[in-house]
Amino acid sequence: MLTQRRFGAGFRRILQDPVLAISLLLVVLFIFIAIVLPILAMIGVSLSEEGRALFGHYLGERAYQDIIVNTLTMGLSVATVGTVIGFLFAYVQVKVKAPFKRFMHLIALVPIISPPFAVATAIILLFGRNGMISKGIFGVRYDIYGLTGLTLALSLSLFTIAYLNFKGMLQALDPSLEEAATNLGASKWHIFRTVTVPMLLPGFAASFLLLFVEAIADLGNPLVLGGNYEVLATRVYISIIGLHDNVAAAVFSVILLVPSLTVFIIQRYWVGRTSVVSVTGKPAGTPQQITHPVVRWGLTGLVLGICALIISIYAVMFVGSVTRVFGVNNTFTLEHFDFVINGYGSDAMVDTTTFAIIATPLAGVLGMLIAFLIVRKAFAGRNIIDFGTMLGIAVPGTIIGIGYLLVFNNPITLTLPFVGDNVPAITLIPKLTGGRAVLGGALAIVIVYVIRSVPAALRSGAALLSQIDPAIEEASISLGANNAVTFRKITLPLIRPAFLAGLIYAFARSMTTISAIVFLTTPQTRIMTQQILNETEQGRYGNAFAYCVILIAIVLVAIGILYLTVGSTTGAERSLEGGA
Amino acid sequence: MAATQNNAADSLRLEKITKVFPSHSGEGEVKAVDAVNLTIQPGEFLTLLGPSGCGKTTTLRLIAGFEMPTAGRILLDGKDITDQPPNKRDMAMVFQSYALFPHMSVFENIAYGLHLRRLSRSEIKSKVDETLGQMGLKGLGDRRPNELSGGQQQRVALARSLVMEPRVLLFDEPLSNLDAKLRIQMRSEIHRLQRRLRITSVYVTHDQIEAMALSDRIVVMNKGQIEQMGTPSEIYHTPATRFVADFIGRANFVDATVIEQAGSRLVVEVLSRRYTVPVRFDYSPGMPIVAMLRSESLTLCADESLPQVVVEQAMFLGSEVEYIVNIGGHNIVVVEQDPRGKSPIAEGQRIGIDFAAEAIHLLPA
Amino acid sequence: MKRFGLFFVVALLLLTLIPASAQEDSLTVLCTPQEDWCVAMTQAFQEKTGIETSYVRLSSGEALARIRATADNPEFSVWWGGPADAYIAAANDGLFESYESPNAELLDPRYVGADNMWYGVYVGATGFCSNVQVLEELGVDVPTSWQDLLNPALKGNVAMAHPATSGTAFTAFWTVITLEADKLEAEEAGTGYNEDGTPTQAAIDNAFAYFAELNNNILQYTRSGLASGPMAGRGEIAVSVIFSHDCVKLQVEGFEGVLVTSFPEEGTGYENGGVAIITGGPEPEAARMFLDFTLSAEGQATALQVNAFQIPTNPEAPISDLAVDLSSLTLIDYNFPAAGALRTELVERFDTEIAPAPTD
Repeated sequence: MLTQRRFGAGFRRILQDPVLAISLLLVVLFIFIAIVLPILAMIGVSLSEEGRALFGHYLGERAYQDIIVNTLTMGLSVATVGTVIGFLFAYVQVKVKAPFKRFMHLIALVPIISPPFAVATAIILLFGRNGMISKGIFGVRYDIYGLTGLTLALSLSLFTIAYLNFKGMLQALDPSLEEAATNLGASKWHIFRTVTVPMLLPGFAASFLLLFVEAIADLGNPLVLGGNYEVLATRVYISIIGLHDNVAAAVFSVILLVPSLTVFIIQRYWVGRTSVVSVTGKPAGTPQQITHPVVRWGLTGLVLGICALIISIYAVMFVGSVTRVFGVNNTFTLEHFDFVINGYGSDAMVDTTTFAIIATPLAGVLGMLIAFLIVRKAFAGRNIIDFGTMLGIAVPGTIIGIGYLLVFNNPITLTLPFVGDNVPAITLIPKLTGGRAVLGGALAIVIVYVIRSVPAALRSGAALLSQIDPAIEEASISLGANNAVTFRKITLPLIRPAFLAGLIYAFARSMTTISAIVFLTTPQTRIMTQQILNETEQGRYGNAFAYCVILIAIVLVAIGILYLTVGSTTGAERSLEGGA
Repeated sequence: MAATQNNAADSLRLEKITKVFPSHSGEGEVKAVDAVNLTIQPGEFLTLLGPSGCGKTTTLRLIAGFEMPTAGRILLDGKDITDQPPNKRDMAMVFQSYALFPHMSVFENIAYGLHLRRLSRSEIKSKVDETLGQMGLKGLGDRRPNELSGGQQQRVALARSLVMEPRVLLFDEPLSNLDAKLRIQMRSEIHRLQRRLRITSVYVTHDQIEAMALSDRIVVMNKGQIEQMGTPSEIYHTPATRFVADFIGRANFVDATVIEQAGSRLVVEVLSRRYTVPVRFDYSPGMPIVAMLRSESLTLCADESLPQVVVEQAMFLGSEVEYIVNIGGHNIVVVEQDPRGKSPIAEGQRIGIDFAAEAIHLLPA
Repeated sequence: MKRFGLFFVVALLLLTLIPASAQEDSLTVLCTPQEDWCVAMTQAFQEKTGIETSYVRLSSGEALARIRATADNPEFSVWWGGPADAYIAAANDGLFESYESPNAELLDPRYVGADNMWYGVYVGATGFCSNVQVLEELGVDVPTSWQDLLNPALKGNVAMAHPATSGTAFTAFWTVITLEADKLEAEEAGTGYNEDGTPTQAAIDNAFAYFAELNNNILQYTRSGLASGPMAGRGEIAVSVIFSHDCVKLQVEGFEGVLVTSFPEEGTGYENGGVAIITGGPEPEAARMFLDFTLSAEGQATALQVNAFQIPTNPEAPISDLAVDLSSLTLIDYNFPAAGALRTELVERFDTEIAPAPTD
């Protein structure tokens, strides 16, 4: 009796508030239908008799073993290089007395809004066999295809994750620790080795694992830069797009899912919990900066070099969009923009932007709502909700796409028992993917945009929320507000910075995502990234670059608008920082 | 039960309230509140006092409705409110951290609950202005909470609750974040306000002085259970248990040997002298007992006929001198009030110790 | 009158039940030629008929797989472009609907599929598209035979598409099979071809041996047949195996003086680009109109707007000066029915034996 009431207590409280109960129910339903079910369906198909036979075949054959090894090697190599670059940027930003810090910071953030394929294609033009740098300057026909190119492209696209991670940690690192070490007579190098690095070890582990997951899930770069270096993600893609073999695709997906999910779980539930950095909020003094000329200029030079590389990649994109054939025929032309705007490009722009605009607030609010439920409402199963939501991003996009194809390619209907055959079945979920899908597949694409963006919003929301004294919300309730009013009038304004970050991320992610929606586009819905893929694959880089330029412009305008509307400060974030 | 239902004068009543949390390790459970029965009279100021982890805050949160009891029920005016959500309970809580809404001005903070009651704009304005005046916050309505001092923030928090004119006012250690001087000032302010408005109040603190200063009645809690309930003076002078005696004030526990029983009195030998003392608990012969002696009830004087102690330490504290003296291997704390004009007794000196029979309070050992 | 009223109500009801697309004021074409030609063709058709026409571009292998996968509920009503082998494979699987086009009588009978299941709309020859600068650097001559591609100096400098996804690549693949069969047949009759005219297993095995060797020189198997052309143009590789008209198009559109077209002298294959009605498609009437249009001189003339240098099958359609003169080439006897029938099997074998194999 006693125990029963205890377990029931949390839920009983939630059930008392209809708004809370309904939102919880909707969240659970949404997570199950939009995230968990497709993944389960995909696993189910892979375990069919046909699928089990394929497992044996793929795991037993040398050629396929190589694909698996390639995938993991690429993941490790990107994770290593990306983490090092990210750390370098963060270390110079926080700990080294260097010029142009603001500039370096901005450059480090640029990859967030980079469209897929842009980096890979630009790298070919810069470092390929006939690349401007490799051939033009050094005169080598360098073979960028394969692991080297992939590592370069993916590290430059993903290091931002590591950078932001390390930057936060380094800034939070209590300077008194290093001061203490200095007092004890340690040299800077000794401090770096014995204090800074060990303190940041969890950061290294977290960045490494996150980059690993992102890298092995990537589809765009291996398609362009892979050469004959095949990875699982491209195999999944070819199985569906080229061969329409759902079972083979499901089997490859599961093989890809195993390392992704394992690493993700290690990152989230093991490394994520062993952080030694104490965020006190009140650093005891200003961090000392390194002024030793060799270290200072060496590191700064290195970072500026990488900045130059990133800038040159984007420069290639912009110049490439207005030259006939970049590198071969450098005549100025607007034909690529003409093709994009007068072809299907304008449809794609309108469709993609519309879907992203619909998905962005949904993802933002849903992320904050789930964060609120998880952080603030004690009920059994909140960890499951958290995990279910995180699956939306932990699972490679291609796998989500296949899951959707498998689950939603036919309407899900409910035939009522005992009513006879003449009563038509009730459609619970209409056909969402493929030809003649409801709204031309737009619904599925918007949902995928949402589930890919919610996890980031959830994390930033949860992080901020756990820093906010729950008493503030309790005070509101105590004064007579119900949960819904409290969430709207108190919680949401307080987590506005996280909300804004969530919205910006959601929009940028939606506009630039390719792997998750590549199987979901239909003749009625045209997605810019899909068009970029088409143009890139057919080698028409000019058109692809023109798309990229337009896409970046749309994202930048959207970020500006978000800052102006959502970001208008009510003083909440300042107050939080001030510590009311 | 029928009697309680009709007894509207009960105001707030807790019946066998129990709250069990799963323990942090995940395995097993922790009983934070264990079958607590409590009745709070209308207009009464009741304090839940105890060390951290004793269950006082959980009890308060159960009353507020932020926690759901595992067992038992809570009644307000005879009406069962156990399952009522916190926003439906006619109570307002003042938080330890003040919990001011950082994105709202002082005025908006205080008006928040009134808005929810859909009061008219002018009503809200007049009520908030009145409260601002009452709390000495005039002219600060447009400020943000982070532009206020700690004491002002505390006043806003109090004003925000008071303006709601709740049936019950709940305080969760509201003064613990203030510095010592401000705490005393706010303490008397709360005292004055409550006595004037006579709002039923439940106050949680671990500060015994605060509890005694403010309360009509004090409930001392330990390990989820009520150790003793009574007026400040009862709690101080006749603690029911050794725990209460130890927690409140400065108490010395000295071995007491029962010589004989005379009705409700016992003849005991304390520090090798005999006293006849009333016994306030169920004494049965052979039961080991101790004598509690408040430090301020003891005096030291150079008298060879008294039991002799050795002064181990003497500390001058301004309004008093605190001595730690040793007798037969036991340490006893003696406080000498108003030490003006006297020179403190030197450490290491032998001296007699004295106290009246009334100073002895017997407790089960 | 009363009867008419009832009819009217029923008709109205039916109209609301039928999905919008079935009213056939719109059409979605599955399109395999280059994107710009897809745009030009569908726009020309839309202007002529007023039917709102959109397209999805897929390489022929992908298109075939997509039609197969969605046979229960087809998304497209008509497929235009891409080599006939895939059309024959689809027709054999019963994915096409027979349709006797009024424009068909203009065509050479070679370009009319069995049972009017499909029609040929253009012809093009397989060739090599080479970057002269890169070849010069590597010290290799412009390739003029399939054997030239095996030159070790070209290691990692050849690209073609994957025959599973690309009709371009499959045409090249079948060409090599035919050449191997011819070689065996020349040595001893009956060893190259079976009695029904299909290549023997030995010929096929020899072709696989050739591609296994070529694999060492291949940088990448692209998904789309056209993609290796621009790679050659940008100097990423030296030689691309594509249709010659696609190479000419690239030369006109920015790679002039960089790319050259050449043909294997021992014989080259050719494609017969097709068009067909998909069984059970959502817009059958509009699909037939579109098919008629692609066979008309007017429809085929759209090629010239977009530098598509295939040879039109309609003799009345204009031919570009830059189109290849087939009579100047050694053409193999391309057995379209056999290629179509064996397509699936061969492609799967290529996928497991050649494509994922690492280059050593």
